[in-house]
Amino acid sequence: MGAYFMMFATAAMGIPLPILNLVAAIIYYYVNRDKGRFVQFHTLQSLYSQIPVTMVNTGLVVWTIINFVRDLDFTSFYWGYLVMAAVVNLVYFIFSLVGAVRARKGLFYYFLFFGKLAYYQVYRIRPEQGPSTFRNRPPGQ
Amino acid sequence: MKLTVQHQESYSRGELLLRTFFGWLYIYIPHGIVLLFVALWSAILQFVAFWVILFTGRYPQSMFEFQEGMLKWSLRLSARMYNIADGYPAFGIKSTDEHTDLVVPYPEKVNRGLVLLRLFFGIFYVYLPHGFILMFRAWFVGILIFAAWWVVLFTGKYPDFMFDWVTGQLRWQFRVSLYMMYMTDTYPPFTGDELPGEDG
Repeated sequence: MGAYFMMFATAAMGIPLPILNLVAAIIYYYVNRDKGRFVQFHTLQSLYSQIPVTMVNTGLVVWTIINFVRDLDFTSFYWGYLVMAAVVNLVYFIFSLVGAVRARKGLFYYFLFFGKLAYYQVYRIRPEQGPSTFRNRPPGQ
Repeated sequence: MKLTVQHQESYSRGELLLRTFFGWLYIYIPHGIVLLFVALWSAILQFVAFWVILFTGRYPQSMFEFQEGMLKWSLRLSARMYNIADGYPAFGIKSTDEHTDLVVPYPEKVNRGLVLLRLFFGIFYVYLPHGFILMFRAWFVGILIFAAWWVVLFTGKYPDFMFDWVTGQLRWQFRVSLYMMYMTDTYPPFTGDELPGEDG
């Protein structure tokens, strides 16, 4: 649950520097990934989904700064990008909110594309943990 | 691009009622069926034009004129659907209309980078922002069309501000279409108003 709220917690700092959201999500993932696969899945899903959102937000911030610094016009192209970024953030916000609530209840919630990606990465069967590996075999076997 | 819809002095109440109750039969279905095939051909031409632009940087003029003609036809039909023009819309790519007009200047050069950008990311940076705002605008325009219907029925006049909003909706949609059909390199502005530098 906390993974999803990281985005909102860092949002205030993240507005001038959107990359902070991503850094926070990465740190949160590495700190919490050993708490079990369920936690790892949700933190990873949150991390993955923040990558495109961060890219879009970074583009917007850079464009805005350039416009101000060089005293350029805010063209229709810019406003189009701004609205697109707003919609992307809104969609991300809704998905994160639902994800956080579901995680709190101990349930899975799959984001578009990123859900599947995170699931396969976390729950894939690794060779060393495959069914052929037995521990605590009975005596004599 | 220059999109104009003539604001008539008075509107026919008889035609309004006829269009409302039987328009589907004598306007929308016949035009819709023909326009469907025209639109299919237009999509094929757009695909061909994409490759031609990519290699030559020019939009083939005959294809451009076909697309322009199809858009004019759509405008004629839409104007009747929104009740901002009377009369029966003419069939055909080369037909003209006394109440509506659309002029799209032929671009001598089309930016190839922008063509690729539109193909791969147009859905994000054009359709998404414009669609999002146009959706809300369309709801409001829908209410205006409904209100204007009653005003026309009782007074025979289409109120100015309602007319401007409805025409603006069409103008905005057409600008987005033109941009996404590679017929202009100018990113569509977030307004339905006619812009000062806009020419036909």
